[in-house]
Amino acid sequence: MNWFGISVGFATLFIIGLGFIWVIRGERYFGYLWWPYVMGLGVLCVVSSLFISYIWGSVLMGAIGASLLWGSTELKEQAVRGELGWYPFHEKKILPPFAEIIKKWKVPSL
Amino acid sequence: MEINWIGLASAGATFFGVWLGHVSVRKIEREVTRIWIPATLALLSGIGLELASFWTDSLIPSTICGILGVTLLWDALELAVRQPKRIKEGYAPANPKNPRHTQILSTHPKATTINWLDRDPRGMPYSKDELISIKKRPA
Repeated sequence: MNWFGISVGFATLFIIGLGFIWVIRGERYFGYLWWPYVMGLGVLCVVSSLFISYIWGSVLMGAIGASLLWGSTELKEQAVRGELGWYPFHEKKILPPFAEIIKKWKVPSL
Repeated sequence: MEINWIGLASAGATFFGVWLGHVSVRKIEREVTRIWIPATLALLSGIGLELASFWTDSLIPSTICGILGVTLLWDALELAVRQPKRIKEGYAPANPKNPRHTQILSTHPKATTINWLDRDPRGMPYSKDELISIKKRPA
């Protein structure tokens, strides 16, 4: 009998749950144009998980990376939710570097 | 340096679990009339995967089953409770061809067939009048 998988499962559920919070808060104050940076950070987390020898460290880093990757594609939808009045709208957003270029890119949606 | 594949397994299972929950919950809840059937199936497969992760000694299969199992348990809740609530509130579009949804449309004034999220961000909030005119526009 092995509690490892179940523990990892619930830890992952918690990480995904945190995703709801940072996507909502992050979009409110920073705007959805940060998505390529978030996506890059997600890839970086997944790749670095390969080089962490400590089992729990590697597992959690992988799950955090996947959650960041997913969240990066959610930011745009969240921006629309804010504009529709489903969430508080914050007008002054701290835009990322190269925001004007990123605006022209298509956000991958899944 | 030794490569530790368990993080990649965990990332893959997490991404796949979230994707499955996100896409299939919306689609299944939209089409199925007797929602308790897929909800029960998700619940049972979630429990099955957790048991599988419990009985495996090997860490990578245990991780994958553990993560997918928990996301399926969450999906059961999404199918049975959370997604129907979004339909009732009008946050997700109702399907007029699904009798369960037509029932919701007739009893919940906020329910709508409009997919509000099918638009790009425009950088400013919508006024009440704009929202009303979007709702009146034929789909």
